[in-house]
Amino acid sequence: MPISQAVVDALRKKREVALNGGGKDKLEERRKKGLFTARDRLDGLFDSSTFQERGLFVQHSCHNFGMEKKELPADGVVTGTGYVSGTPVAAFSQDFTVAGGSLGSIHAKKIVNLMDHALKAGLPIVGFMDSGGARIQEAVESLSGYGQVFFHNVLASGVIPQIAVIAGPCAGGAAYSPALTDFQIMIKKQANMFICGPDVIKAATGQTCTMEEVGSAAVHATTSGNIHFVAENDAHAIQIVKQLLTYLPANNMVDPPHKLPPTLSLTKHKSMEALVPADSKSPLDMAAVIAKLFDANSFLEVQRDWAKNIIVGFARLKGMVVAIIANQPMVKAGTLDIDASDKAARFIRFANCFNIPIVTLVDVPGFLPGLAQERGGIIRHGAKMLFAYSAATVPKITMILRKAYGGAYLAMCSKDLGADFVFAWPTAEIAVMGAEGAVRVLFRKELKEAADPKAREAELIAEYREKFASPYQAASKALIDDVIEPADTRAALAMALRNLLSKRETRPPKKHGNIPL
Amino acid sequence: MKKLRVTVEGKVYEVTVEILDAGKEGAPLFPPAVGSVSAAPVVSAPVASASVSAPVSAPAAAAPSVPAGPGAVASQLAGKIVSLNVKEGDTVKAGDVLLAVEAMKMNTYVNAPRDGKVTKVAVVVGDAVNEGQTLVVIE
Repeated sequence: MPISQAVVDALRKKREVALNGGGKDKLEERRKKGLFTARDRLDGLFDSSTFQERGLFVQHSCHNFGMEKKELPADGVVTGTGYVSGTPVAAFSQDFTVAGGSLGSIHAKKIVNLMDHALKAGLPIVGFMDSGGARIQEAVESLSGYGQVFFHNVLASGVIPQIAVIAGPCAGGAAYSPALTDFQIMIKKQANMFICGPDVIKAATGQTCTMEEVGSAAVHATTSGNIHFVAENDAHAIQIVKQLLTYLPANNMVDPPHKLPPTLSLTKHKSMEALVPADSKSPLDMAAVIAKLFDANSFLEVQRDWAKNIIVGFARLKGMVVAIIANQPMVKAGTLDIDASDKAARFIRFANCFNIPIVTLVDVPGFLPGLAQERGGIIRHGAKMLFAYSAATVPKITMILRKAYGGAYLAMCSKDLGADFVFAWPTAEIAVMGAEGAVRVLFRKELKEAADPKAREAELIAEYREKFASPYQAASKALIDDVIEPADTRAALAMALRNLLSKRETRPPKKHGNIPL
Repeated sequence: MKKLRVTVEGKVYEVTVEILDAGKEGAPLFPPAVGSVSAAPVVSAPVASASVSAPVSAPAAAAPSVPAGPGAVASQLAGKIVSLNVKEGDTVKAGDVLLAVEAMKMNTYVNAPRDGKVTKVAVVVGDAVNEGQTLVVIE
């Protein structure tokens, strides 16, 4: 006897209803507004026909306020696994058409189940956030749901890459789940993210402000540093996710997807020379150096609009995936400040979690002086960089292009913080402090007594510069492994990195270090 | 330097070629991915440049440290004015270098954020300026 057709039809009908979320009309309305639906987002992410859903037939668990009579298809979140450009990925997508994407206990359970699965299978997880917040009718169970999601975000942290797309409202407690992931992509216009919105701020403090100032993609990208990428629309957000995934391993136990060429070309790149200004006071454009040094079009900048005095991002160096940390002398003279330290330290730690080699490009005149910096805690923020670099056991290559002064020299992955290779250009200046300042401190007395203090000062400055503002003093103490010409940089870094991919470094076991936060 | 022998219509020329940059070395690094994703390279190529964050217009709200009006160009950091390229009444284009602030052994060039007319120059060469201080106003 074949299966009863009625049973099959019943299943098909149930499935169709559930797949339509809040109803066909609501889905169409969203599309007309230029917004993707929850399922459109997953369709965009996954290779065609590879999405395997779990939890389509769940029922919400609220029996109050007339909710027991309501059906909430899939309980407002679509969860499952599929393939992204041929590699398996887990993803969930909140459905705003179903009870405003609100999070109830079953909704949370589906997300947590998916995270458990991703953890066991070792799959990256992507979440599309589009939710009005906690489902108020479910009261404390809904809060508990958030708590469970946060807990699993933390369990997964450092085991599988986690990416959050803020695709709609993401308010209050809901904002903390994305904040616990590795990368947040926020879509302009349609998305906002905040703990207390303008109304609550007004009621509590009397301050008037706009949503644009509190929770827009622009403010989080430029000022708060809460997000990593801004997307124009849903399609662009998905493109960014896909591009990001091309650099990441599936989990912390495997290498990132290096594409090693069978032969390593060691060609010189003479055009690098044009990027080095002759005058050491003229800023070098680090963005131009990065574009030349790494494989063409392989650079994906992370947190581009925040703390621009440091550049971080992923790229490939002759096929090898690398995490780049680079000072940008065009902004704030390339100094390290509070935000730059936080940005770099977090990125270093991500790279170390996921076995991604770190290339550090140094042109740093020091930590940014100023009252606001000292009072804001530059000591503990700057210490994050020292901590993150010292704790990182992935291959670490440091390239000193020009300035490397004082504590900032150390903080940019000096030999003493465990750099495996340190290269310098002949233009490198590695010293405790600048020549002018050093001479004034060292020769205060002599300058006072000199017949012509100005001339004597100039003489001493020239002498100091000759002696210390060069890479050779550091090279003589074995703090630099080689001084190379700019044209040889790409070849030297690539060769050094190829010989480091097998690096193994173990540290004493501990629960975790205590990074200054 | 590379020496090449080139034959053109039977005539032999010896030429020396200096290779400045290796052009194609990236090419063999990206073999087409295995499986159903043969379309991937097509998609990911434009992504590489487009996938960086979309430009965000930095609204005044995003830079609360700038006290003055919308046309004010502020100093990124504390330092000394070492050069001044504009005077009041000048017309400037976005990206033009307005002046240079020396700080931390480095000249930081301040560019015009957009096209406009310089209505105020608030500093002279030699002035010490603070972070966030208005240097020039462009209307």
